[in-house]
Amino acid sequence: MTDVTCASGVELLMDYLEGALPPAVSADLEAHVAACPRCAAFIASYRETPRILREATAAALPPELEESLLAFLRARRP
Amino acid sequence: MEVPGPEPTDETLAARAAAGDEAAFEDIVTRYKARVFRLAWRLTGNESDAADVLQETFLRAYRGLRSFRGASRFGIWLYRVATNAALAHRRARSRRPAESLEAFLPRFDGNGAHATTPAELHVAARADELLDRRVLAERARAGIERLPELYREAFVLRDLEEMPTAEVADVLGLEPATVRQRVHRARLMLRGYLGDLVGVKR
Repeated sequence: MTDVTCASGVELLMDYLEGALPPAVSADLEAHVAACPRCAAFIASYRETPRILREATAAALPPELEESLLAFLRARRP
Repeated sequence: MEVPGPEPTDETLAARAAAGDEAAFEDIVTRYKARVFRLAWRLTGNESDAADVLQETFLRAYRGLRSFRGASRFGIWLYRVATNAALAHRRARSRRPAESLEAFLPRFDGNGAHATTPAELHVAARADELLDRRVLAERARAGIERLPELYREAFVLRDLEEMPTAEVADVLGLEPATVRQRVHRARLMLRGYLGDLVGVKR
């Protein structure tokens, strides 16, 4: 068993969430987080960050660009 | 009665298009245009640049179809073309360097413990409840724009386009561990940035 601090735990988060950590290291991280409300709160916001930014940047293709795209490509093909 | 066959795969359409079938190429454009535009918008941060990148991507794809050999899925190949087109477009624009997001990385005390309270640490998770939708959309764009170039590409593909890490690694020509490291740094910075938007320092 290794000592996990908040700082060292944060550095492991991405690998942990992607299942890229050795099982023993994952277990140490889980043990730290279970006893650390700050890490639990931090991880919740870390996990929500991609979703919030994904939803805020889901741009739709404007209809006029759909039309101009095909015209642009047809004009440039031999 | 003629029964329609199954939809051709991307790879089938690409092979037909490479052999000169114009309709097959236009089917590819129809299939991917909305996804390529969204990716381009996320990588460039505005509609006008995204429109240019959209055109450039399909033009490059058309000219490069014969170089698509089916070593990876067609979608991955096209995303690579789009990502490179967006990068070339950004470089041509030679923007002012954006102010770094380093200041939003988490802070720790001398013992390596989080330096702020659980409530403060959690608040970024509620940024979308606490901010007006249009304000958040503009700030999200600005935040992603401020990421270092290398982190932005990895973050946009992995977290905004939701590609698996292995595919992002394929698109960017990186090891999966490098992708994870870059996406992680981007998440840390943007998490702090969202917290700052709703009034909390890291």
